[in-house]
Amino acid sequence: MDLALFLIAGAVALIGAVAMLMARNAVHSALFLLLNFAAIAVLFLLLQSPFLFAIQLTVYAGAIMVLFLFVVMLLGAEQVEDTPDRIAWQRPLGLLLGLALLAVAVIAGLRTGTTPLPGGEAVATFGNPASLGALLFTRYMLPFQITGVILLIAVIGVVVLNQRGRQSAESGQATGD
Amino acid sequence: MLTWLIWLIPLLPLVGFLLNVFFIRQERAAGLVASAMVVASFLVTLVATFILGALPEEERLIQSVAWDWITTGSLYVPFAIMLDPLTAVMTLLVTGVGALIHIYSIGYMHGDPRVVRYFAYLNLFVTMMLFLVMANNMLLLFLGWEGVGLCSFLLIGFWFERKVAAAAAVKAFVVNRIGDAAFILAMLAIFSNFGTLNFYDLEHQGQVVPGFLERIPEIAGLTFGPAWQPIAIATGISFLLLIGASGKSAQVPLFVWLPDAMAGPTPVSALIHAATMVTAGVYMMARTEPLFVASPTTQSWVVWIGALTAFIAGSAAIAQWDIKRVLAYSTVSQLGFMVAACGMGAYVAAIFHLLTHGVFKALLFLGSGSVIHGTHETQDMRKMGGLRTAMPTTFWTYVVGAAALAGVVPLAGFWSKDEILAHAVAYGYWPQLIILFLTSLLTAFYMGRQVALIFYGQQRDHHYHAHESSRVMTVPLVVLAVGAMLAGFLNLPTLFSGMPAAHLLTDWLHPVLHEEAGKFNLMVALLATAGAVGMGYLGWWAYTSNAAKIKVGGKDPAYHYTGDLWDGMEQAWYVDVLYNTVVIAPFRGLGNFLARVFDPQGIDGLVVGVGRLFGWIAGGLRQLQSGYVRTYALVFTMGAVLILGFMLIFAR
Amino acid sequence: MVPTAYYILLSAALFAIGVLGVLVRRNAMVVFMSVELMLNAANLALVTFARERLSVDGQVLVFFVITVAAAEVAVGLALLVAIFRTKRTADVDEVSTLRG
Repeated sequence: MDLALFLIAGAVALIGAVAMLMARNAVHSALFLLLNFAAIAVLFLLLQSPFLFAIQLTVYAGAIMVLFLFVVMLLGAEQVEDTPDRIAWQRPLGLLLGLALLAVAVIAGLRTGTTPLPGGEAVATFGNPASLGALLFTRYMLPFQITGVILLIAVIGVVVLNQRGRQSAESGQATGD
Repeated sequence: MLTWLIWLIPLLPLVGFLLNVFFIRQERAAGLVASAMVVASFLVTLVATFILGALPEEERLIQSVAWDWITTGSLYVPFAIMLDPLTAVMTLLVTGVGALIHIYSIGYMHGDPRVVRYFAYLNLFVTMMLFLVMANNMLLLFLGWEGVGLCSFLLIGFWFERKVAAAAAVKAFVVNRIGDAAFILAMLAIFSNFGTLNFYDLEHQGQVVPGFLERIPEIAGLTFGPAWQPIAIATGISFLLLIGASGKSAQVPLFVWLPDAMAGPTPVSALIHAATMVTAGVYMMARTEPLFVASPTTQSWVVWIGALTAFIAGSAAIAQWDIKRVLAYSTVSQLGFMVAACGMGAYVAAIFHLLTHGVFKALLFLGSGSVIHGTHETQDMRKMGGLRTAMPTTFWTYVVGAAALAGVVPLAGFWSKDEILAHAVAYGYWPQLIILFLTSLLTAFYMGRQVALIFYGQQRDHHYHAHESSRVMTVPLVVLAVGAMLAGFLNLPTLFSGMPAAHLLTDWLHPVLHEEAGKFNLMVALLATAGAVGMGYLGWWAYTSNAAKIKVGGKDPAYHYTGDLWDGMEQAWYVDVLYNTVVIAPFRGLGNFLARVFDPQGIDGLVVGVGRLFGWIAGGLRQLQSGYVRTYALVFTMGAVLILGFMLIFAR
Repeated sequence: MVPTAYYILLSAALFAIGVLGVLVRRNAMVVFMSVELMLNAANLALVTFARERLSVDGQVLVFFVITVAAAEVAVGLALLVAIFRTKRTADVDEVSTLRG
C-alpha cells in the first residue's frame, strides 16, 4: 500500500518536474511545478509529517505559486526564449553535469541504509504537530524568532524595491513629458 | 689665558661668516666686517705667538678642549684645538695673507651682485683652514680639510653662471675625493693601531688622552699584508696620508684640478689655491712627520712624487697663455718642491718654502688679479703687453714677486728654495736634485716670459683701456711685496763661520720637528742664482725681442723651435687627456650604455614586461567573467560535483 | 514500509532536474522555479531522514526552509520585477552588464 502510494506520488512528482523543465510557457511551468509540490506534499504525509504536508500545500502550493503566476502574468514573461541561445554550448555541458550530479547523489543515496522504516508504538506518535510545535517553541526558539525577523526584512525589502521602482518610473515619466 | 685666547683665532672669522650669512646685506659692510674679523684674528695670533714664544721650549704646546666631541667605545675625540710652533707659523700665514686678500677683495669684487655671499664664503674658508691647522686630532683636522674643500668648491664655482667655473668646481671636488678617501683610510688605520686620533698626549679631566705621534716606536716592528711581502704599518698609514696630501696639495697624479680651479675669482686663487689650502697637504705631512720618517719606503715615494710634480707642472707653466694658469702650474710646481723637501726629511725647509711661497705667490696672484681687473677681465697674455706704464705699482710689485719666485738673491724664494736644494745635496738625492734644479731654471724662465708678455712691448689688443687698480688693491700688493723681500730672512743659513745664528724658523720649529739648521752650500747657491737670473733674463729677452711675433690667438714663438713638445707642455703632458680617455670616457660609455640601453631595455623591459605579463594573464582570465549568471552557475555546479565526488571517493 | 533509499533517489532526481533547469533555461521565472524545486528535493530528503531516525528535528528544519523560501521568493520576485522595469526582459542572459 505504502509502496504503491509512493510510486504513484513519486512518478507524479518526477513528471511534474520534467514537464516544468520542458514547458515553453512559463505559466505551464508554474502549473507543473504546482503538481510537483502537491505530489511531494503527499510524500510528506507518507513520511508521517502531517504538519509539513499542510504548510507545503498552503505556503508552497498556495501562496508561493500564486505569487509566481501573478508575477509571470504581470510581466508578460510567458515566453522569453524566442531569441537564439547565446551560450548554447552550455546546454550539453549542463546536461552532463546534471547527470553527474545525479550519479553522485544516487551513489550517495544507495550507500544509506535500505532498511524499511520501523513500525510500532514509537512510530505511532512520531511527527504529530504537537511534538513539532513543542520543539519549535523550546529548543528552536531563537531560530524561530530569527525567521520571523527575516520575514519582516523580506517584507520591508519588497516594499523598498517597489517604492524605488515607482519613483524612478515617475521621474522617467516626468522627464518624458 | 692662552687656552681661551687661541679659541678666538678660529672663532672670529666664524663670527664674520655668521654675520655675513644672517645679517649683512650691503656690499660695503660685508667687506669691512669680513676683513676686520680676519685682521683681528691675525692680531690675536700675533699675541698668542708671542706668548707662546715666551714659554720654555718644552712647554710650547697649548691644547684646549672645548667639549667631548665623540665618545664611543675606546674612541675618544675631543673638540680641541692646539697651538704649537708649527701651528703658529701656519696660523700666521693663513690669517696674515688672508687678511690682506680680504682687503684686496673689497676692491676686486666691487660691484659683483653676490659680494656678500663671497665674503661669507671667504670667512668660512678662513675658519675651516684655521681648524685644519689648529686641530689637535686627525678628525678635527679632517673636518677642516673637508671644510676648506667645500669652500674651495663654492668659491671656484662662485660665478656658477659660467659653465667652465661650475665644471671646474665639480672637478676640484671629485679629484679631492680620491685623496680624502685615502685620508679616511689612514685615519682608520691610525685608530686601529694606536687607539687614538690625538696628535699629542692631552691631559683632560684628570686623565691622559694619548697621542699617536709620540707612540710611533710602538708600531715600528709591526707589519701587515701577505707573508711573502710584509708591509710595515707605518708605510701603509703614511702612504695613505701621502695620497691624501696629493689630492689637497695637487701632486701627481691628482694635480689636474688646480689649473682648472682658476675659474674662480682671482683673490680666491691667491688665498685658497696658492697660499693656504693647497699647502694643507704639506702641513699635514709635516705634522705627522714621525710617521713618514718611520717609513723610508714612503719617503722615497714622497720625494719622487714631489720632484715629478715640480718638473711636470713647471714645464707646463712655460707654455700657458692664460695669466692665471701660468701661476697655477707654478703653484703646483712649488708645492712639488715642498713635498720633495718633506720626502727628503727637510721638513723645516718645506715649511719655510710654504711660508715664503704663500707670501710671494699670493702677491703674484693678486698682481695678476690687478692686471685682469685693470684690463677689463682680460686673461689671455697675448692680448696684453706694455702695461708697465699704465699700472706701475702692479708692475713693480709683480716684478718683486716674480724675482722672489724665480729665486733671485736676497728675496724670499731664494732662501727657501736654496735650503731645499742644499738639503738634497747634503743627503745625496742626486737625481731628484737635478730635476728640482732644472725646475727652478724653468721657474725663472716662465716668470721672465710672463713679465715680458704682460708688461713689456706694445699693447697687442686695444679693446680695453688699461688702468691702475684702486688703493684698496695696491696697498696689499705693496705689503706683500715687502713681505716677499723680507720673508727669506726668517731662516737665514749660516753664511760664514762666525755669523750670528739667524735661522729663526728652524729654532722656532725645533720643538715640533727637531731639526738642526741646514748647512749653506755656496756652490748650489751660486749655481741656482746664476741659473735664476740667467733663465729669467732669457725668458724676458726672448719674449720682448720677439714681441712682434706674438699675435692674439697665435702660436708661441718658441713653438718654432720645440714643435710638438710645446703642445705637450701646454696640455701639461696630456694628463687630463689621459684621465679623459682612461677614466672618464669609459665611465661615460658605461653610463650611456646603462642609460640608453640597459635602463630602457633591461630594467624598463623587465618592469613593463611584468606589467604586460599580468595584463596578458588578466586578458585571458577576464574571458571567464562572461557576465552570464548561468555560466557562473555552471562552474559552481562543476565545483559542487567535484567536491561531492571527492568526498564519496575519499571521505567515508 | 518504503525503503529510505527510494525516497533519496527520488530526491536526487528532483534535485538534478532543478539544477538542469537553472543551467539550461533562460526565463528568469523558470530558473526561479527550478531553485524552488531543488529546495523541495532537499526538503524531501530531510523529512525522509527524520522519519528514518524518528527525529522531529529534521521536520523543524524543513519548516524553517519553507519559511525562509517564502521570504526568498518574495524578495527574488521583487528583484525580478525591478530588473524587468529597467531591462524590459525576463531573460537572464540579457542581464550581463558585469561582463569582464
